[in-house]
Amino acid sequence: MKKWRKGPVGLLWAAILILGLMLAGCAPGASGGDEAEGGQSEDTGDTSDGGDDSGDSSGEISGELEIQYFVGGYGDSWWKEVIGDFQEEYPDVTITEHAGPNINEEMRSRWVSDDPPDVVYIDGAGSSETQMVEDGQLMNLTDWVNEMEVDGSPLLDNLIVEPADYDGDIYSLPLVFDTWGTWYDRAWFEEEGFEVPENFDSFMDSMATINDKEGIAPFVTTGQYPYYFLRGMLYPAFAAAGGEELLASVIDGEEGAWTSEPVLEVMKKVEKMQEAGYIDPGFGALNHTQSQMNFLLHDNAFIPVGFWLPNEMANDVPDGFEFGFIPSPMQDAGDPFAIVPDLRPLAIAEKAENPEAAKAFVEFVYNREYATLFSEHTGAIMNMTNVDLTGNENVPPYLTEANEMINDPEQVQIYNKPHPMSSDLETPIGDALTSLMLGNITAEEFVEKAEAAAAEYRGE
Amino acid sequence: MVQSKKQKYLFLAFCLVPTMIMFSIFTLYPLFNGLYYSLFSWSGSSSAAEFTGLSNYVKLFNDSIIPRTIFHDYFLVVTKVFGIMILATFFAVALTQLRIKEAPFYRIVFFFPNIMSVVVIGILWSFIYNPSLGLINSGLELVGLDSWTRPWLGSEDWALPSLVLPSVWAGIGLFMLMLMGGISNVSKSYYEAAEIDGATEWQQFWKVTLPLIWPQIKISILYIVITTLNGSFIIVQVMTGGGPNNSTHVMGSYLYQQAFQQYNFGYGATIGVMILILSLITVLIMQFFMRREKVEY
Repeated sequence: MKKWRKGPVGLLWAAILILGLMLAGCAPGASGGDEAEGGQSEDTGDTSDGGDDSGDSSGEISGELEIQYFVGGYGDSWWKEVIGDFQEEYPDVTITEHAGPNINEEMRSRWVSDDPPDVVYIDGAGSSETQMVEDGQLMNLTDWVNEMEVDGSPLLDNLIVEPADYDGDIYSLPLVFDTWGTWYDRAWFEEEGFEVPENFDSFMDSMATINDKEGIAPFVTTGQYPYYFLRGMLYPAFAAAGGEELLASVIDGEEGAWTSEPVLEVMKKVEKMQEAGYIDPGFGALNHTQSQMNFLLHDNAFIPVGFWLPNEMANDVPDGFEFGFIPSPMQDAGDPFAIVPDLRPLAIAEKAENPEAAKAFVEFVYNREYATLFSEHTGAIMNMTNVDLTGNENVPPYLTEANEMINDPEQVQIYNKPHPMSSDLETPIGDALTSLMLGNITAEEFVEKAEAAAAEYRGE
Repeated sequence: MVQSKKQKYLFLAFCLVPTMIMFSIFTLYPLFNGLYYSLFSWSGSSSAAEFTGLSNYVKLFNDSIIPRTIFHDYFLVVTKVFGIMILATFFAVALTQLRIKEAPFYRIVFFFPNIMSVVVIGILWSFIYNPSLGLINSGLELVGLDSWTRPWLGSEDWALPSLVLPSVWAGIGLFMLMLMGGISNVSKSYYEAAEIDGATEWQQFWKVTLPLIWPQIKISILYIVITTLNGSFIIVQVMTGGGPNNSTHVMGSYLYQQAFQQYNFGYGATIGVMILILSLITVLIMQFFMRREKVEY
């Protein structure tokens, strides 16, 4: 009898071990490391005082510069080129690149032990700008950014979208201007005579036609990551309905924001789409790649994704498929489309060991030549105004078109969100959203649930 | 050769000390570290951790998702124990007692899922469940049961039951082998004696086979319970990510979501402590219920 008892208990211990390892995998660094850091943080203070005259001379900038950048849908060729040019300009700097699709996980222990890289490009899974700001990991750039200039005018005037605002302070500079929108197959639509939507009513009409003619649910998104719908369809809808003010209050989970009239109206639109059977009933199970695959196979006709979609699915695009992009058509007839940019920022670590070189690099990146180059390399847009992409053969057509649209306020209004939504709020809202889109709860029940989630979020 | 006392202790120390050191570093330290961090508010991605006492535990008791994750876990435990044990016993008996010629072939076929990674199994089955291209829905349509088709993993009601099938499928082989080992140890003479006494095959199974392989069955059940409580995380994470609307979250996947996706590492550690306590209680209860004297004939 006793003998048998030993087996399972042993197994249990093994289970505990695995669990323990999971939890302790990335404990904060030993306190010894912090002490050693003391001297360096003083350096940081000195350099930020003297940061005014950085940039105009290359002689002072030397030492090691560590750059962390995520490599995803945009690839890394643009980075290689920029970093190569920077190296030529500042030969005394030794550049160490930390790059790759899993770089956020790989570098996590460095951040935890207060030994971060100098410059970080925040993008991809496992990274969160809001979290980094909350944890005090990013340098406050407010004063420095306000003095920075590009082509003789202040940097901030040259950006399409201003930096994220954390109680009046700037901790990051938006580098990549990406935006969510609704994609369709241009070639297919032309061939079948489907209408490209211009507002919510024509969106519904178009979906009705497609539904009748093809017998498919026209709209698909990923149910495993409900934030695709939230950011891709609802943010523009909220912005169109109530401007930046409503958008900000919803993202911050302010009291009464989610139960407000305009939000409920938007959610009623979603309910309508569901009731009409236009949302693919199987979406709940799909991850983003599966939903995108279904879209490419014409199982569905519309999908909300960002600019990275063509790059991400490049290997699976069927012959004759032509990507078409419109801002998500959730606005009422007569209103311009709304776009809510999704920005991928560049930031400097609070505990950067070489802030001088880090600032020089950030300043180096922001110019129109690299902005054009960025669109050629990645099929997306860098966050700088007046970058002329028309007639540039290296840029895909959907991008030229989108770029034109974005610069035409009659067609498209750009609304900025103050900062990304915290995942503590986004997760419960996404859960309720899935339920609404599956038809298990009503729009009224949804806003109640969202309001409750916001209340809990504020309480933290 | 007679060993001196000193030699004996030296040998024991040689065996035990390295193990103990390893055990402490890789088991005890993480265990207590996990307990320690459950008392902090910590994002898990920076050095800033704030001591918050038992507030994570208060949050745990007020979190409406937690009871659901516990229910989902035990739903999987119960369905898997019954599903795997019934099928594994059936196959084990069939392959050993019924003198099937192709027995070795079936043994390999049934064991096959066990050499596959659970991640692969999860991906494979999410294709099988795919609402438009999947084998299950196409199969149902083929036999005219169109009304039975549904978006299995995408439905709040069906997603969790849908996870049972792959879990059972993946588990049968190993336990079938364990039970086959048990059955082949049962002496043929018992069956001959039972046959002479006029026992049917069914009676032989209940009165001879089952009592004699009880130890193996018990181990198997315990093993299924523990691996399910700690390991169903993988299949949930791969197949549904806990969705839709938390309808498939188990404790482990919720822990992962909190610790690594919502940056509440301290709270994740608290959920870990809860899993530890629940697993311990479950195993103790099972020990109690499955106490049955070893049978020898």
